[in-house]
Amino acid sequence: MLVKEEVCKNLSDEEIIKKSLLEIDYFACLYNRYDKKLLRYIKRLSMTSEEEANDILQDSFIKIWRNINNYDSNLKFSSWVYRIVHNETVTHYRKNVSFGKNNTVKIDNSDNLDISEDDDAGNNEEHYILTHKVLQKMSLKYREVLVLSFLEKMSYTEISDVLKIPEGSVASRINRAKKMFKSIVEKENISINE
Amino acid sequence: MENSESLIDKIKAEKVKPIPKWKFSIKEKFISIIFIIALLFGGLSFSIILFAIQQLDFSLITHMTHSWLEFSLAILPFLWIILLVLFLVFAMLGIKNSKSGYKFSLSKLFLFNTSFSILIGTFFFISGGAGWLENKFAVNVASYESIQEKKEKMWNIPQEGYLAGTIKNINPIEFELESFQGKNWIINYENANKPGFMVLENGVEIKIIGKIISDNKFRADEIRPWGGSGRFRNSKGR
Repeated sequence: MLVKEEVCKNLSDEEIIKKSLLEIDYFACLYNRYDKKLLRYIKRLSMTSEEEANDILQDSFIKIWRNINNYDSNLKFSSWVYRIVHNETVTHYRKNVSFGKNNTVKIDNSDNLDISEDDDAGNNEEHYILTHKVLQKMSLKYREVLVLSFLEKMSYTEISDVLKIPEGSVASRINRAKKMFKSIVEKENISINE
Repeated sequence: MENSESLIDKIKAEKVKPIPKWKFSIKEKFISIIFIIALLFGGLSFSIILFAIQQLDFSLITHMTHSWLEFSLAILPFLWIILLVLFLVFAMLGIKNSKSGYKFSLSKLFLFNTSFSILIGTFFFISGGAGWLENKFAVNVASYESIQEKKEKMWNIPQEGYLAGTIKNINPIEFELESFQGKNWIINYENANKPGFMVLENGVEIKIIGKIISDNKFRADEIRPWGGSGRFRNSKGR
């Protein structure tokens, strides 16, 4: 590791940014701080393979580095990072869709989903797999708000900052997405205990 | 090799450098300037629309043979209405593309931009700037037909009962009127209605609804100041 983990641990995101601008190796601290969460988010959003998700994440971090001077400290750093990763994932996803590629991963077991200990759903693997199966059937516009709200556990303000839409639109989109989720569950006759 | 290490190696190998802060601040400032200019020009457009509405003179509508819609369509400055809409769209795009623009809904942005343009426009109109600006356009832009030109055309149809011009040689029954097209008329105003605040004297510009009696004689039924209803006249009254 370029900068020792103990050193990274004691620094805030903003401090790491400042140090990175003087010594690039510190940027690895940010990567290591967020990579697991973001990798999981990429996979949840685009249902892509581990390898491709890693590529998206690396491209995203290069973009973060290039735009680091544009980070607005009024925003939570995590929201800003999620925004860039989100945009990169969506671009990648749309490119795949428009070129007719189907790189989505079949969700038959939890290996592809990368369930973490902090996921409530992690306690019920079957429930978790079914949830993702339903999400896979939803359009990206509605899937993204459900993933951010219920799986990434973000507040409306954070989702608004990630997706760059007003908070009111976040609320109405989540509401519509929940209805859509429910109708898919009923249509496909999937049993998910709430 | 750890992913973070390969990321740093890639950044170093490809010599990826952060974009300088000044480039972002120039972009932000450019967006702000576009927003402010669009808002100001939107206000100016609105003031000219107000000026055109003032020129309609609603108090005469009941006396007119032309319909209200016909009269409005003939005089309303569609160029300025289109410009107002365009400037509002530019202002909205400006604020939407600013750092925090996404936090506001389109309806809120529309309401804010429109209210601001209305406020600026009303202030400019009351201060007499709208008529001045419109006149500047008429003088300097050859293909531009000003509201005054349109209005003069509309008020020079004596055979339909519309006449306008400047009073010359007035007596208690009649006065001589030089129309804006340069023709002299004898106007009988014995039984004409006019607003109480209005004083008829030599040099005053007026518009008349009435009836043509002979080649150069006209009977006035309604007389109004040339500049709108006369309540918000600019310094020249035109």
